[in-house]
Amino acid sequence: MLLDYGAESHLIEQISARLGKALGCSSIEISLIPSAIVLTSLIDEHSITTTRRAHHQPINMSIVHQVVSICVFTEKHKENLAFVENKLNNVHANYYPAWLLIPIIGLACAAFGHLHGVDWPGFLVTFLAAAIGMGVRIWLSRLNYSLLIVFAFTAFTCTLIASLATYQNFSATGGIVLSSSVLLLVPGFPYINAILDAFKGYLSMGWGRWMQATLLTFMTSLGIILAMHLIGIEGWQ
Amino acid sequence: MIDWWQIFANALWAGLPAVGFAMIFNVPRSTLPFCAFGGAFTYGLRELLLNFCSIELGTFIAATAIGIIGVFWSRRYIMPRPIYTIASIIPMIPGKYAYEMMISLVTISANGVTDELLAKFIENGLYAVSILFAIALGLVLPSLHYTKRKQPIL
Repeated sequence: MLLDYGAESHLIEQISARLGKALGCSSIEISLIPSAIVLTSLIDEHSITTTRRAHHQPINMSIVHQVVSICVFTEKHKENLAFVENKLNNVHANYYPAWLLIPIIGLACAAFGHLHGVDWPGFLVTFLAAAIGMGVRIWLSRLNYSLLIVFAFTAFTCTLIASLATYQNFSATGGIVLSSSVLLLVPGFPYINAILDAFKGYLSMGWGRWMQATLLTFMTSLGIILAMHLIGIEGWQ
Repeated sequence: MIDWWQIFANALWAGLPAVGFAMIFNVPRSTLPFCAFGGAFTYGLRELLLNFCSIELGTFIAATAIGIIGVFWSRRYIMPRPIYTIASIIPMIPGKYAYEMMISLVTISANGVTDELLAKFIENGLYAVSILFAIALGLVLPSLHYTKRKQPIL
């Protein structure tokens, strides 16, 4: 479950082991690969092994947080299995509403642009492009498309709208507008997670996540290149 | 001469992306102010350090600082550390360099190789990779130190 939502490998192992101890197992051994978890628990000289398949979901930190709090709570209060199961079933994603997310992301990318020295008309265009891009991303995710396709289409939309900045010299810094409006697609979390995993000795997890992040970046580039060829602007010079 | 006002304003601007990206990752609502503060703090610290050292070293020190702060915060509020740390380093991610590297690669494939384009490609690529590595190393140092002990952080 933690793996689904992008937690760090070390955290997954620690939490499972501690939860097992708190529930009365003598030991928990765990093995992780990017798409599955193998877990062996030793209870009263019997060992039980289960394998769980992991499905990759969008990163959701609030779920990770809730699982961790359940673990800490169980350790402190010596609760039983039924209590934990009940709690785990009640873990829910608390998503931010789309109407709040869209302008905030727009503002975030525009702020990036501002830090890189964009002028005020460019700021406006970046805001618009990133906000609409985020809208497209949320919409496509709801339709259950693969994350890769979502990224490519979002990048395509962002670049199309951001290229308005170069139209009739509306903004003097069109290049920066183009680059900062696609920043909402940078897969920073998988990259950092990959390196953190690799440093802590989970090499295969690290590689898996690195590959995932690289694929996302490639798809983003694909979207940008498509859009640029479509308009035929030479935005990068 | 250090332009304090400029650094402060830029740090405030950097807080915005930190919050925005934290919301993409769906962090719990109560941590949003910390993410904003962390983002502003790391970016401001790096801007300040740029006066004294290179961008890679500055990024490394800033990431280490937020890594250590994240350990304290996570203990106090029982949160996994990545919530604070990753949102805070988002403003430092070298997205712009990576983007320019890719653009020069596309130009090379469209117009043929020139020395200038190749130089731009290598320069931007090295910047992007080394900054990314500096961030990751900075974040991992505090947690490596704490995982030496038997007692887990939370």
